[in-house]
Amino acid sequence: MWELAVRSLEVSAILLLAALGELIGQRSGVLNVGIEGLMLFGGTVAFMVTQATEQFPLGFAAALATGALLGGAHAFFSITLRGDQVVSGMGLWVLSFGLTTFLGSPYAGPLGLGRIGGLAGLPPFFLFGVLLVAAVWFLLFRTGPGLAIRSAGENPAAALAAGIPVAAIRYVCVVTGGVLGALAGAVYTLSYNPVWNYNFIMGWGFVSLALVFFSMWNPWILLAGASLFGLMWQLSLSPELVLPGILSRYVWRTLPFAITIPILVVISTPWFRARWGLAKPEALGQPDT
Amino acid sequence: MRLGRHEVVLEPRPAPPAGYAVLTAAVAILAALALASALFLSADASPAAAYRAIFSYAFLNPHGLAATVQRSIYLLFCTYAFLVPFRAGLWNIGLPGQVYAGGLAAFAVPLLVWREPTGAPSPALVIGLMVAAAAVAGATTGGIAGILRARFQVNEILVTMMLNSILFWVVAYMVKEGGPFMGATAEGESFTLPAPLRPPLWWGVPFTAVVALGAAALLDLLFARAALGYRIRAFGASPAAARYGGISPAAISLLVFLIGGALAGVAGYHTFAAIPGVHKIPGNYGYYGDLGFYGMISALIARGSALGAIPIAVLFGGLSLGARFAQGALRLPFGVDYALLGLLMMTFIGSHVLHAFRVVWRRRGTAVADAAPTGAPGT
Repeated sequence: MWELAVRSLEVSAILLLAALGELIGQRSGVLNVGIEGLMLFGGTVAFMVTQATEQFPLGFAAALATGALLGGAHAFFSITLRGDQVVSGMGLWVLSFGLTTFLGSPYAGPLGLGRIGGLAGLPPFFLFGVLLVAAVWFLLFRTGPGLAIRSAGENPAAALAAGIPVAAIRYVCVVTGGVLGALAGAVYTLSYNPVWNYNFIMGWGFVSLALVFFSMWNPWILLAGASLFGLMWQLSLSPELVLPGILSRYVWRTLPFAITIPILVVISTPWFRARWGLAKPEALGQPDT
Repeated sequence: MRLGRHEVVLEPRPAPPAGYAVLTAAVAILAALALASALFLSADASPAAAYRAIFSYAFLNPHGLAATVQRSIYLLFCTYAFLVPFRAGLWNIGLPGQVYAGGLAAFAVPLLVWREPTGAPSPALVIGLMVAAAAVAGATTGGIAGILRARFQVNEILVTMMLNSILFWVVAYMVKEGGPFMGATAEGESFTLPAPLRPPLWWGVPFTAVVALGAAALLDLLFARAALGYRIRAFGASPAAARYGGISPAAISLLVFLIGGALAGVAGYHTFAAIPGVHKIPGNYGYYGDLGFYGMISALIARGSALGAIPIAVLFGGLSLGARFAQGALRLPFGVDYALLGLLMMTFIGSHVLHAFRVVWRRRGTAVADAAPTGAPGT
């Protein structure tokens, strides 16, 4: 049971990091539907570099740089060129899916290094994620720069008139989102499951995106959502812990995805939107004037 | 971007010049092929040898050419499945899931109605039922995303992606580890279709080819001439304006996903039940599902034209097959076909920028007149 809890916190950490990056970007008004691509590219580069150098820090550093580059590309297309953010995000995902399949395949298989140790028995990345949640919440809701980020996402024209550099703020937020997405991928390939396989992330990037919508753009709710999903994921991998012998293991694997859909429906109902829908950044997906 | 006293800006093109769509499509494809040379070089293979291997296998070798035709049919159905919702501004990235649903439904039919020794009911009827079941199952899977979008504005990208994962595991359940569709002799794949239920071939091609070409003509006619096509396009161009014009957003969202899903379901029927030498859901069905994303890119590059997508789908069908062949022949790393998919997506976005914007170079301070702010009096 303890092992299950630790593993599920690791899943939560990966989803949390990726989703937190997306939350920051969306708060500034930029939607990135290509988180899956960030995670695939970050995870693959981290795996390649770590296997070649046998140094975890180098692998993580390479992932962060990759994420900054991809985030920068998305920012350039959606902020500077004012392109359609969904087109760019989808492009990011398919590009990463295709290229990482080719780039990673010579490295397919286990990493072959020791596992990254825990802190007091807990996965270090989850603790880092919790600290980051607190930091992001404080930044967004208790500081001047945070107010500037939120105003860029709510009403860029008004923010611009108030002297807030909307484009620059959005760049910083989107690049940060790229870095965190790639870091999440690196945590997957270097710590959670250090065996590279093509398309290893299997939809977690889209789950992270769903978590951001679920969180109502609040980092603390995001933490709760990611924790629950992590537990659900790990249970779906070993259902015998709760319900031995019922249903095929393949049926259990559909569960985390099958539960996500009704949750998305509930948060999209008029009732829910009327009560809590105001949290959505008003200018999400729109270029600044 | 500022350069001294001049600045370079991108201005939206109100109406791209005629023929520009073809030009940008060609540029995107050629640029992706050029970029792929870097991949071949990185794997110590000569790009010229790699392209020769890819193209000669895909389009000159008789086996390769036959496989290219089969794959092109599959990609064409996937292309339409993405294209129809996309004309309404919606993203159907549920192609793999709808393909799996179609494949499963097609294989359920013989299990339910076909009795081996008597050969009744007639094979033609069973084949017809298989196609219909595949279309209905694909439409149902797509329809889930459509109705949730229509009724609750749930993001269709997320729903279709979740359905992909769900259907992936449902197929695993059905064909592996003693699942209901598991083959008698082979572990990890479905039963093979009995010989009478394999569709007849004309010059090696099943009837699905005719369906695919006919669907292209019908779809283009729909969007060019029919009121429904106009409504879909209007909704895609501006949902708010379309609503004001009396077009029901809910009906359009649901309808495009039903049509798209049905087409992807038929793609599933074609690829698992109609291609000679396959006739089963193989253990690596995930590879075929993921190939469906080539449909997404060919619809994007064809800019929503179903007939225009035909040469593109044939090219991509050949490239993805030839790349697999070249992988073996030249000992390239796995995944050249997917890498090409990724590069195409990147160059498509580049060409999209060239298509939608023009680069303007002018002295600073002369910009304003043609870009009057909205809401200014008298405009």
